[in-house]
Amino acid sequence: MKYLFRPFENISKNHRLLIVLFWILLVVVFWFFSSMGERHLFPSPKQVLTGFTELYNEGLVVHIGSSLLLCIKAILIAVVISLVITYLSTIPVVAPIAKALSKLRYLPLTGITFYLAIIISDARTMQVWVLVVFMSTYLTTSLLSMVSAISQEEFDHARSLQCSRWEVLWEVVVKGRIDHVIEVIRQNLAIVWMMLVTVESILVAAGGLGFLIKNSDKFMNHGRIIALQIVILLVGLSIDFALDYLRKAFFRYSKI
Amino acid sequence: MNYNTHNTLLYVEDLSVVYGDKTVIKDVNFVEKDVVREGNVTGQVIAFVGRSGRGKSTLFRAMTGLIKPTTGKVLIADTTTASENDAKEVNEGDIGFVDQKYTLFRNKTVYEALLFALRKKEMTKEEKHTTIMSYLTDWGLAQAKDQYPCELSGGQRQRTAVIEQILCSGHYMVLDEPFSGLDVGNIEDVKKAFNLITSSHEFNTIIYSTHDIELAVELADSIYVIGYPTIDGKKADYGTIVKHIDMKELNLAWKDFGLDHIEVVKQIKATMLNS
Repeated sequence: MKYLFRPFENISKNHRLLIVLFWILLVVVFWFFSSMGERHLFPSPKQVLTGFTELYNEGLVVHIGSSLLLCIKAILIAVVISLVITYLSTIPVVAPIAKALSKLRYLPLTGITFYLAIIISDARTMQVWVLVVFMSTYLTTSLLSMVSAISQEEFDHARSLQCSRWEVLWEVVVKGRIDHVIEVIRQNLAIVWMMLVTVESILVAAGGLGFLIKNSDKFMNHGRIIALQIVILLVGLSIDFALDYLRKAFFRYSKI
Repeated sequence: MNYNTHNTLLYVEDLSVVYGDKTVIKDVNFVEKDVVREGNVTGQVIAFVGRSGRGKSTLFRAMTGLIKPTTGKVLIADTTTASENDAKEVNEGDIGFVDQKYTLFRNKTVYEALLFALRKKEMTKEEKHTTIMSYLTDWGLAQAKDQYPCELSGGQRQRTAVIEQILCSGHYMVLDEPFSGLDVGNIEDVKKAFNLITSSHEFNTIIYSTHDIELAVELADSIYVIGYPTIDGKKADYGTIVKHIDMKELNLAWKDFGLDHIEVVKQIKATMLNS
């Protein structure tokens, strides 16, 4: 057993599973004990379960669907914008635009929403574009790093095979890094998922998980809040898993 | 061993590459001609040796047209015309280039990579397929045809990279340290690959760099030592050709490694240490 406490020790799959189960059990036990008595920080598991049942009866699935739809719309638009800008950033004239977009990630949300509100009247469209603006900045940053990480040898290899500069871009950067793009989306998804709940709670337009949290927060219903947090975490992790699976299944050569 | 030299295949004149204030190579001049031996298809094998940082890789990148030289020119025989002595300035893609990591397209299988290398050739789909399959069989890669680079061994990667360049670039191939990091078996594979290339066409020319002087002497018929030249008693800080050994003239080319070869190895090592 001593070796389980030694740094850099390789352990078997079964041992790893046992360790994970141990920690989950510890958290659950801690939760039970810390939520007993009259004064407690977290709601009890029973309260959370009740909150979850209530949410389900109020159409939790529809709200999850609404959030997912918003997320997918925003991601698709942001990915297209970021990819076009990143691929074109290999052209010296366009490079400063890509770098500037990446730097915009330091802009505060309020300023952006103010100007978007002037241009866009529909609340749902507004939600989409707030997410698009933010995700584009983060995605562009990651995609630019992806391009700069490509070795000179890969470009030289394509050029030595009589590829024109546009062919080099297509073969090495676009086609050669599709699996990396999926990985970048997966890594940035957590930011969007977190932003999505915030955006939905600011602009209460078409329901969604953010709207539910805001409502539960208003009535200090802790059981519902924790139930929602768990749902949000699980949905986020499921998307993360699905994207990772997609990358590995479709791109056998991908060893990221 | 009797031989004649015919057309000029490679002509490098006053080549220099400067990055900012740093002159990497300067005054590089050499000529390589087509070597003809009766009853034998003999390609050219040219080795470049020299200590690290003397500009071998930069010279190779300039020779293959991957970087524009600051001064000078690199001419190769234009084999696409009917005239025998036509020459053209080298452009990227004219000379195949295999780097020491044997870089391949990470998203293409061996077969897809070779098909891509043939994309500009005027051949039917069936002809391309037949050509690829014949190369894969000859070079022992038939089993690996549907594998991606990350699934290949070092030797398989190296052979794929070489075939890719043969199919695409024609007669010239530059290999940057093809023996580095290879085990004994893989080194034998590279030697066989050299033989296959040089015995398949008179004009085929392999130019490679190596830190293994014995291998340079064993395989090459022309050896160039790149080093810092000594000018007016002072060692300059740019690379150039400091010695050329013509193994054909010494009657040592195309022969098994023997005592005379060891003498040449000693000479080269001494030159390298002084440059």
